[in-house]
Amino acid sequence: MNPNEIFSLALASSEAGKEGAEHHHSLLAVFVYFAFVLAIVFTLLSVAKKGFSPRGFKGFISQCSEQLYLFIENMCVGTIGAHGRKYIPFIITFWLVIFFSNVVALFFPVAPTADLSFNLGMALCSIGYVQYEGMKANGVFGHLKHFAGPKLGLAMIPITLMIFMIEVISEVMKNLSLTLRLFGNIDGGHQAAEAMSKLAGGAAGVHWIPAGTLLVPVKFLTCVVQAMIFCLLTCVYLSLVTHHEEEGAHAH
Amino acid sequence: MYNFIGYGIAKLGVGIGLGLIGFGAMNGMSRQPEAISKLQVAMLIAMAFVELVFLLTLFLGKGLIGG
Repeated sequence: MNPNEIFSLALASSEAGKEGAEHHHSLLAVFVYFAFVLAIVFTLLSVAKKGFSPRGFKGFISQCSEQLYLFIENMCVGTIGAHGRKYIPFIITFWLVIFFSNVVALFFPVAPTADLSFNLGMALCSIGYVQYEGMKANGVFGHLKHFAGPKLGLAMIPITLMIFMIEVISEVMKNLSLTLRLFGNIDGGHQAAEAMSKLAGGAAGVHWIPAGTLLVPVKFLTCVVQAMIFCLLTCVYLSLVTHHEEEGAHAH
Repeated sequence: MYNFIGYGIAKLGVGIGLGLIGFGAMNGMSRQPEAISKLQVAMLIAMAFVELVFLLTLFLGKGLIGG
């Protein structure tokens, strides 16, 4: 099967069709991604085998990685504070996973981040880690007390209870909001491209012409911004539960 | 049919909201160019929250959540 055929099969999988056929095609598309990833990894390995020459460290990839590191470090330290440096590996992993999954969405009609389950999994990781860090910073009861809001009088216990419940619900909804934002933006890009292609095809009197490709610059912007927003929101949530550590250096 | 009208109304509100955020951020940036990086971050967060409202409308309208 030549690459063109595989690509057209992957293309066909995005259109609403029979359930079984669609499943088969998206599975095929996943294999295509695997092939791409393996090719990139082996290329990198073959380059790395030549040793750590100074030329290699001034190369394009390492410079990009350094820029990315500086960008994420800036984000973590700026949002969380001085102790935000230890969250850099966590945030940078999210950024890379989301960014490259979004870039897949530029070229293929299916993508990991255009899938609700994948996004929900990442959101659960993010919010779960935030809870863990909150418990580590404030203790389990301190973290739960954080949900109950300000200290009110004894007569206000029903209000405190209500605030607690609302806060717990909002904590659960954070998962949903992270999931839906990413899914909506990436899948929305796909649907807009598809609609444009169909519209242009209708105007030209054929079934489908790839006019949706014109949206690629906008979609690329969305890729970067969505990856950034996911990381930024994780940083903000982390800073909300751990900001007691710094001693009022700059009041929020 | 009615859900499309609903999407239109929702997008109208979200468009006004996004425009206001951009307006405020642009004003702030032009008044204080050294604060651009901070303002951009805050602007993007605010935009993400406004956008989410439309996405929720879209999913609820489509019945993706409610079944």
